[in-house]
Amino acid sequence: MGKITLSQVTKSFGDVQVIPPLDLEINDGEFVVFVGPSGCGKSTLLRLIAGLEDVTSGRIEIDGAEATELPPAKRRLAMVFQSYALYPHMSVRKNIAFPMKMANVPEDEQARRIESAAKALNLTDYLDRKPGQLSGGQRQRVAIGRAIVREPAAFLFDEPLSNLDAALRVGMRLEISELHERLATTMIYVTHDQVEAMTMADKIVVLRAGHIEQVGSPLDLYRAPRNLFVAGFIGSPKMNFIEGQTAAAHGAHTIGIRPEHIEVSATEGLWQGRVAVSEHLGSDSFFHVHDTGLADVITVRASGEIGFRHGDTIFMTPREDQLHRFGADGLRL
Amino acid sequence: MARAVKTQRKALNTAIAWGVGLLIFFPILWTILTSFKTEAEAIADPPVWFNFSWTLENYFTVQERSNYFRHFWNSVVISVGSTLIGLIIAVPAAWAMAFVPGKRTKDVLMWMLSTKMLPPVGVLVPLYLIFRDLGLLDTRIGLVFVLTMINLPIIIWMLYTYFREIPSEILEAARMDGAGLREEVLHVLMPMAVPGMASTVLLNIILAWNEAFWTLNLTAAKAAPLTAFIASYSSPEGLFYAKLSAASTMAIAPILIMGWFSQKQLVRGLTFGAVK
Amino acid sequence: MSTKASRAAARLMISPSVILLLGWMLIPLGLTLYFSFLRYNLLMPGDNPFVGLENYSYFLTDPGFTAAIWNTLALVLGVLVITIGGGIVLALLLDQPMWGQGIVRILVIAPFFVMPTVSALVWKNMFLNPVNGLFAHLFKALGLQPYDFLAQAPLLSIIGIVSWQWLPFATLILLTALQSLDSEQLEAAEMDGAKPLSRFWHIMLPHLARAITVVVLIQTIFLLSVFAEILVTTNGGPGYASTNLTYLIYVQSLLQYDVGMGSAGGVVAIILANIVAIFLMRMIGKNLEA
Repeated sequence: MGKITLSQVTKSFGDVQVIPPLDLEINDGEFVVFVGPSGCGKSTLLRLIAGLEDVTSGRIEIDGAEATELPPAKRRLAMVFQSYALYPHMSVRKNIAFPMKMANVPEDEQARRIESAAKALNLTDYLDRKPGQLSGGQRQRVAIGRAIVREPAAFLFDEPLSNLDAALRVGMRLEISELHERLATTMIYVTHDQVEAMTMADKIVVLRAGHIEQVGSPLDLYRAPRNLFVAGFIGSPKMNFIEGQTAAAHGAHTIGIRPEHIEVSATEGLWQGRVAVSEHLGSDSFFHVHDTGLADVITVRASGEIGFRHGDTIFMTPREDQLHRFGADGLRL
Repeated sequence: MARAVKTQRKALNTAIAWGVGLLIFFPILWTILTSFKTEAEAIADPPVWFNFSWTLENYFTVQERSNYFRHFWNSVVISVGSTLIGLIIAVPAAWAMAFVPGKRTKDVLMWMLSTKMLPPVGVLVPLYLIFRDLGLLDTRIGLVFVLTMINLPIIIWMLYTYFREIPSEILEAARMDGAGLREEVLHVLMPMAVPGMASTVLLNIILAWNEAFWTLNLTAAKAAPLTAFIASYSSPEGLFYAKLSAASTMAIAPILIMGWFSQKQLVRGLTFGAVK
Repeated sequence: MSTKASRAAARLMISPSVILLLGWMLIPLGLTLYFSFLRYNLLMPGDNPFVGLENYSYFLTDPGFTAAIWNTLALVLGVLVITIGGGIVLALLLDQPMWGQGIVRILVIAPFFVMPTVSALVWKNMFLNPVNGLFAHLFKALGLQPYDFLAQAPLLSIIGIVSWQWLPFATLILLTALQSLDSEQLEAAEMDGAKPLSRFWHIMLPHLARAITVVVLIQTIFLLSVFAEILVTTNGGPGYASTNLTYLIYVQSLLQYDVGMGSAGGVVAIILANIVAIFLMRMIGKNLEA
């Protein structure tokens, strides 16, 4: 069980309120991702749930029971830290055993759980090594192993992949997702990387300056961003925003169109511009287009190999059904 | 070709560096050599280098005539005692300041350091009188107290810089893993802090062992550690170079060895973490 | 970051250190200040009348005081110049590739671990003694008159002894600082066409500036209080030729039993040391923020 409810939770450091009153419900078994730019309060929120910080006001409930004043050890939550926070003086085995030792789990049960965790995480050969002798990816798996064996009500991940190189990050992303499928335990995952959020989450919570901007499934957020901030944050490359006459023609202050929702042509189209930079990835091509009279730069994505080069004239037509309209207050119309 | 030049350069560096190193070390080397000579050989002109009749006699004489080991033991008690008491007081303070820093932590640390800047001679008179009135003059307990207070700021500072290097995420991980304060300190903090504490202890024993203001002014005979005992050789009678050398060698040998072990931590300890 | 409970515990853990150090600082300091205004000599029992600034005026006009100030200054500056100059050269030397670097390092830092009384006695007797010292032997071998260092140049001799003790400290700190210099910076300068001398001047020296400042300040604190070396070698003599402030106060309070005068001297010493300390604390304080 791992239902977590935050009601009217706030956090201030001195005079600075980093989390204004906030309500959030996390259902049992959900994979929830807190995403937002650095300094948006997502890590603080996670630490409030973990009990590593005191809330300034408000209530936190875990499985319907009041947990606001509980120390971290009593909340039955496991956390994977950004730096992994492995105990450098203990072997991998002892690292994984530590939470069970603290909970007075019997020795043979400890051994059984260590073995199954090690097997699941490919750590069997490394159990007697010290963390210093492991690679980044292996350390990451030890940190996860240490979290699994507690059989917690929920897992908390604080930017766990940010210290890994790109290739490893993709692999670990899959492993964590598989782990969630297998355990079906609540997971709360903090990241600033919207790709991680989109690929892993059941539910994404977009935060800015301590505020929740939008909560929803990845595709909800992609299809119907509630405001300009979410629209710009979710999706890669970023959504193009166009103001002025073109937007007014659609009855909006700003219109947004994703790069992948613009058709390109060498001969005809609604908008015209000049290619400044073209990036050819093989499967896709990205064009950064200048001199459109719409915005400083319009980014366009086309499938496959299309041969526009620097300086070429390009014609673009947005797909009308994929236009996002926003009012002067930044909210979706 | 380039490689040959490099080897030549390295050989030259080596020769110069060893020459300078031996020159700086020479007084110590000479003292150690002299301690194995007879008194006549010790002042021979031209000096004898290695081809003398090696003898341990001076070491025995020093002990017989002046009960050397009592002073040696005084040094051990005073330096180890003051360091351990200092450690007991300092560990909680450094722990708290490193892991639960408050708004005033920095001010408290700086203030503690400032007590170290007080020139000892500035408080010599009142301390001497207080010690006289309390009967602490020429007692080991009195010296232990003074040296504890003198080195306490250094101990706190060293521990603080070591503790601060322990990432707080690891302590939070322990808390998340269900460790209470006691387990957190016992299983996680202490094992990680031991290397830093060991070098703190080592450096402070060295500093206390060599302290030569209070030990000279607050002891006479009974509680005199080696610093004060050796000073009694400053008014010589007859030939005494070999015996002086033997006494000196025994006084500096343990510290020399400890010092070589702690040379890396020395920089950090003596500069209060300003140079690492 | 922390929770309320841990903050209360923290205060409790810091308090023993704070209380002890507060007592250690304030009680003797207060007494020194108090005594400095009294006519108080242990050889003359009776009441100790308040005499205002009399002790200060005696202490500051004492011929020994002027001498002691100059000697203290000469001692501090002399040792600083020798140890820092020598320290930079040695650090550069030890930073070069060579065989047995670790052993040379050990040889160079050894003098720092020799207790002051031992080093003073060894130098006084086995090296500087005009009859049996090694220098006397060396002078004779070269056909020169033996020189009585401690009688003819007492202050210079003490500066030499103290420099020998502190050279390792300066070397070690400057070497540590030098080794923390990013080698890519030097390579970049080399690519930019900087010759070794200008690399030293424009890159290494600025990098060492901070370490040099630290060495200057910390050594100054200790050098202001040089005591054992003087007590063992010259007893401050001949006359006041090698008496520094610390030694002068020691003579007045513990040898002449003049508590009032000694205390006035103590206050003067504290004021002088504080001037140095303020600079040192600023340096270290800056580091604490970084």
